[in-house]
Amino acid sequence: MFSGTLNTDLTLESVDEPMDPQAPQDEHAPRGGPLKFAYANGSRPLAGYTIKRGIGRGGFGEVYFAVSDGGKEVAIKLIRHNLDVELRGVTHCLNLKHPNLIALYDVKQDDQDNSWVVMEYATGESLEEVIRRHPQGLPPEEAVNWIQGIAAGVGYLHDHGIVHRDLKPGNIFRDDGQVKLGDYGLSKFISCSRRSGQTESIGTVHYMAPEVANGRYGKEIDIYALGIILYEVLTGHVPFEGESVGEVLMKHLTAEPSLSEVPDAYREVIARALAKDPARRFESAGEMMNALPPLAATMAYRPPLKETRAVGEAPAANAEYRVPPPQPNPEAAQAGAAQQVHAVVVDEEPIWRAIRDGWRSTRESWDNFNTPTKIGVAVLGLMVISNSTTWNMVGSFGPPLVVLYVVYRIGRSMVLQHEARRQGGYQGNARKGGSDTNYRESRREGGSQPVDRPASPPPGMQTTAYHPTRKLSPPVDWRKASQRRWKRRSGRRWREEAAAALVVKSPRERVAELAGSMILAAAVGAAMSVVVILLRGDAVEKEVYAWLTLVSVVGSWAILIPSKFWEGTKGDAVLRRVALLIAGLAVGAVAYGAADVLMTKLPDSPMHHVFGTRALSDRFYDLKDGSPLLMGHLAYFGALFAVISWWRQANPLRRTRLSVWCTVVCVFWAWMINLLWSFPQPWGLMVAAIISTSVQLVSPFVPEHERLARPAGQE
Amino acid sequence: MYSSARPIPMDSAACVQWIESAVKNPIAKSRLLLWVDAVGGFYVCPGAEVRLGQAVPDSNVDVPLLADLSRHHATIRRDEEGYTIEPVRDVWLNHHKIDTVSWINDGSLIEMGRALQMRFSRPHPLSATARLDFSSNHRTQPSAAAVLLMADTCVLGPVAHSHVVCRDWPHEVVLHRQHGGLYCRSATPFEVDGTRYQQQGPITLHSHVIGEEFSFSLEEI
Repeated sequence: MFSGTLNTDLTLESVDEPMDPQAPQDEHAPRGGPLKFAYANGSRPLAGYTIKRGIGRGGFGEVYFAVSDGGKEVAIKLIRHNLDVELRGVTHCLNLKHPNLIALYDVKQDDQDNSWVVMEYATGESLEEVIRRHPQGLPPEEAVNWIQGIAAGVGYLHDHGIVHRDLKPGNIFRDDGQVKLGDYGLSKFISCSRRSGQTESIGTVHYMAPEVANGRYGKEIDIYALGIILYEVLTGHVPFEGESVGEVLMKHLTAEPSLSEVPDAYREVIARALAKDPARRFESAGEMMNALPPLAATMAYRPPLKETRAVGEAPAANAEYRVPPPQPNPEAAQAGAAQQVHAVVVDEEPIWRAIRDGWRSTRESWDNFNTPTKIGVAVLGLMVISNSTTWNMVGSFGPPLVVLYVVYRIGRSMVLQHEARRQGGYQGNARKGGSDTNYRESRREGGSQPVDRPASPPPGMQTTAYHPTRKLSPPVDWRKASQRRWKRRSGRRWREEAAAALVVKSPRERVAELAGSMILAAAVGAAMSVVVILLRGDAVEKEVYAWLTLVSVVGSWAILIPSKFWEGTKGDAVLRRVALLIAGLAVGAVAYGAADVLMTKLPDSPMHHVFGTRALSDRFYDLKDGSPLLMGHLAYFGALFAVISWWRQANPLRRTRLSVWCTVVCVFWAWMINLLWSFPQPWGLMVAAIISTSVQLVSPFVPEHERLARPAGQE
Repeated sequence: MYSSARPIPMDSAACVQWIESAVKNPIAKSRLLLWVDAVGGFYVCPGAEVRLGQAVPDSNVDVPLLADLSRHHATIRRDEEGYTIEPVRDVWLNHHKIDTVSWINDGSLIEMGRALQMRFSRPHPLSATARLDFSSNHRTQPSAAAVLLMADTCVLGPVAHSHVVCRDWPHEVVLHRQHGGLYCRSATPFEVDGTRYQQQGPITLHSHVIGEEFSFSLEEI
């Protein structure tokens, strides 16, 4: 497995304890095979406890979920052959008490001379699962909640002279809102490194401090791991990734973490926790927590009350039937108040926020629609676009409104700045420091899941759960689990892998796919043109229909063909735009030629003369009626093709098959270009919309779950 | 897809035992715990009518919940068209209090009593089996991570639309009802209580099933 790599790269054997010669059950675990549990449901290897199911395999042995004869639910961990080393660690920790640690209840012997550790069974997901659900990272307040809980537990261990040594998301759980650290006693005296090198593989080395390579196991390694976990909860992936244990370790030793994905406010803390020199790290977990930015500074733009309500909490209407929200303790309340103050101070412009919030919630609900609904809404949208009344309204009200808003915005910021200056530096600073990160945060969290537990009080303060608890299995088959994790870990990563799978497509496959897409594009283009014209409602000459179909189909081809050959590669966007510009010019020429041959003049609605016809040049436009000549066509289509990153819409790895948002953006750009080189509307916009829709509909699309399967299948 | 028409081999002693147990104890009347190793414990209700209520020592509801509820608080029923809930006491469906029998759909939030919240889902498009997940910190008694309202099939597998998501399994394993009893189907051979089956085999309400890549047990309550 990985031990070979380890041995050659680093002297990880230099561990204080001798290797157990028996190296127990791990050897029996089939490689990449299933996880076998020695005891099945109903067996009673340990008197007084009935095993219900296997939970997983920890650093040392199998862990089971069991119920005592009295009905207490526990996790029990088998330590075969009384591994002295292990038992010493456990007994050392047996009487530690902290709300953020999984409680160890007892150590018992069975009649086969095996020892069992009886411990608390934590309900709820492990942090690993949570991160897997949030590939872009957790919302900051939730990330901080986790990290504070972990730090409290680690700090307690350190205060009692114990180094955890194996901090990783798979060992951390949340039970009724309370963060719980597991596996601590067990890793104390055993090197996580050696074990991990042999059985747990790559998963653990992600959190391994560089000095571990030299056999140093001070508490600084926990601070380092805490830094890695903080990075991971904020971004969704660990800072040092690689294909092999050796590669990851080498990065820990030499590479500087790239903090560009981390919100500004956290960069300093992470950088210091991840210092290569242990002496430069924080001295304690508590010090590290004190260095964290106040939460308010990173989440000020969240409307504090509305959004922080728990997922399922009932609305106020039937509030009287519901449990009153848990009374936050005074400190939390204070923190909450502070946060609100900040929120007011750095409040952003309300109209803009309303628009953004509205847009965000629209997008959220959009994501929940099924495809037929999406198509229905898209058709409705097209109907609105293609209706000339809409254009008249947009044309007459739009520009004045925008101008008004800009004036208001400038005025507002001037007034606010003045206020800030008058009240001293504090607010100004807050706004300056806050706005940038805040905006990013609030945007990011738009896509993430709602927070489970609103404004949780600091973990140390929470009361413990009253009910029996359950421990979520840590990933069990380490080799497999970690490999899989490599694929799932970061969005970027699987995207790259899936992209690699696309690159290896043979030219023949590509041509075949392309031909299919082009034929489909012709059909879809024709159909969409009919739909658009029908929706528009007016009678339209069939020449116009022919023009619309032809231009849309040729336009989609002009995108599909180059995109097919760019598929899966990371080309230079500028070159692609130039290529598309050329394609666009060609489409423009076709559009002009078609109009000429069909002898049609596109019926024009008046809105397009936003800047007036005076600016029109006679080389571009027929000055009599303002209709575009060849140059006008070339300019409009060339710009349309060069401005938009069309190839993304043909990328098989795009987020959804049909993103109407994408189409809306295209239409928007078409409209912007129309302001420069006016084109008879709504025909120009329709062409853009049809091209965008049909490119997306006909381009192959690999759904997300298959993206993972695909490269794996090739291994 | 999952309504198999393949004949079931009926030869071994295990089968005889299985038939006996199926006759004595029809699956539709039973309540099960499904313990999936390395995944979790699930409370399985195969009946078409499932009564929910507070877990008390002599409780006789199908799903006893450790929550502040009435002894019989609500009834969920399944028919050809879907699932309905009949409130016996205070029940909210998607935040609206309901007084009559109401349809529940994929994603519905069911709230009962003062604090219990459960999310109803029907993950698999080809199966009527539904799942109730706790959104609040409550559990069934005995404790399970979720309640499976099992129709004819129950899919355990690696993909998200499985009824029981087993991330590390290489393929699906399907439990399905046939001849009044329960069968297990898997792409790879597996053992049920020591008897080996190639692709499909009967299981009892106390079976332990071990495949190459998976293992789970059933326990009758």
